[in-house]
Amino acid sequence: MSHHFLEVNDLYYSYPDGTEALKGVSLRLEHGEAVGLVGANGAGKSTLLLAVAGLVFSGSGTVNIGGAILSKKTLGEIRRRLGFIFQDPEDQLFMPTVFDDVAFGPLNQGLSAGEVSFRVEEALRSVGAGHLSDRPAYRLSGGEKRAVSIAAVLSMLPDILLMDEPSSGLDPRNRRMLIGLLGDFTHTRLIATHDLDLVLDVCPRTIVLHRGEIAADGHTEEIFRDEGLLERCSLEPPLCMQGVRS
Amino acid sequence: MAKKLDINFNELVSCSTAASGSSLVHRLDPRAKWLVTLAFAVTATSFGKYEIARLMPLFFYPFAMIALSGVAVADVLRRTALAAPFILLAGLFNPFFDRHVLISLWGFPLTGGWVSFLSITLRSVLVVSSVVLLSLTTRSDRLFSGLGELGVPSIFVVQLQFLNRYILLLAGEVQRIVRAHSLRSGSRRNSVSLFLSGSMLGILLLKSMDRAARVHWAMLARGFDGEVRTACPLKFSWQRDGAFVLIWVAFFGAVRFIDIPFLLFGWAVGK
Repeated sequence: MSHHFLEVNDLYYSYPDGTEALKGVSLRLEHGEAVGLVGANGAGKSTLLLAVAGLVFSGSGTVNIGGAILSKKTLGEIRRRLGFIFQDPEDQLFMPTVFDDVAFGPLNQGLSAGEVSFRVEEALRSVGAGHLSDRPAYRLSGGEKRAVSIAAVLSMLPDILLMDEPSSGLDPRNRRMLIGLLGDFTHTRLIATHDLDLVLDVCPRTIVLHRGEIAADGHTEEIFRDEGLLERCSLEPPLCMQGVRS
Repeated sequence: MAKKLDINFNELVSCSTAASGSSLVHRLDPRAKWLVTLAFAVTATSFGKYEIARLMPLFFYPFAMIALSGVAVADVLRRTALAAPFILLAGLFNPFFDRHVLISLWGFPLTGGWVSFLSITLRSVLVVSSVVLLSLTTRSDRLFSGLGELGVPSIFVVQLQFLNRYILLLAGEVQRIVRAHSLRSGSRRNSVSLFLSGSMLGILLLKSMDRAARVHWAMLARGFDGEVRTACPLKFSWQRDGAFVLIWVAFFGAVRFIDIPFLLFGWAVGK
């Protein structure tokens, strides 16, 4: 089970208007590793996740998911292995009920009705949303939408999870529940976020992205203690490491 | 204006809620309901342009469906009324062009134009109310799956499915833009200048395109290949759905080919 790795080599990406979003990014996540991807607004975090999932195609560089190099030919296989959780759960939930939404991925995998039903129930149960199965997705609270959007990805049994700002818009209690949930996962996880406290709780390793380049890659606590690095990358230490200011 | 939009947004949401009911009509296979609605529309529009009395038995269909489904009459009337401007426009000019007197009612001459205007209005109300009932008694995913199963090309079915989904998202965006305008426009909060409307529409278009791209990415990331599959495949039961279609088609056929009002009330008009 050591094949759920993610490797990015010298990845470049420019937007159609010429803005360079990624400038030679290289990284490797080992099986089961949880890595925080932090950086200021516009640092390239979301673009990196989109490029890894093959949702935008980079100008140059390679993405290797468990031995499969990302290309238009391998896209289907790679998307079966990757689970992408978007920043806004509204973008992910488009079916009439929660059950239908969570079943969307497994149905596209060609599974039988019985297997789909089992996967949906398991995924909803694992995020504590089993009772929401028959509810329309647009009627859920922010925390419930986030839980269901995670279940919608888990139901596909991905090897690797890519998460874009998973805690955005959550109240403190739902955020705490999310942190517990992410900590329990055994998937390989790449979590792009501004929530450095979440990273501190969930990810032993952190990558700092600055203006499309990797500014640092190392142990989370060491990185968050490096005030000079955080200052240079327009970041601030997590709240729990800031102490009380008068 | 923000309040009106809130009401319309809630209207959209309540439509989806009503469609999730569990009555006999809600449980019918959507293909059966599509076929009956289509047969009803064909029957209603096939009458001659001066027919009014013979349309009356067709009102039995919407009333029966309302009774069987438990849908609120007010919901059907309100949604049918939304189409009123189009309904009235369809026959508005008939009274001006068709001025020959058909009958005289208590000494007042009634022209063909007014009779055909009334006939068109009645037929439109019938057809629109039947479509409203279809949408209020069928969940959107089943409604569109039914269309696909009836042979409508999947590209159209997928377009309709996502149009339906985007309406809610788009309504949410409109609601936010209008609310932001309303909060910062003081006493002029109920009017939006032409220039500003253009700018707001432009922002709405850009936001919609961004949103559409993100929703599409989210679908691709979960293996979307151009077909929306459903967890509960449709099952057509001949005993239930077949009987529903046969009974109603027989009724519409009887209404079309037998002059039921004359049979029932012919004696009263002395014929």
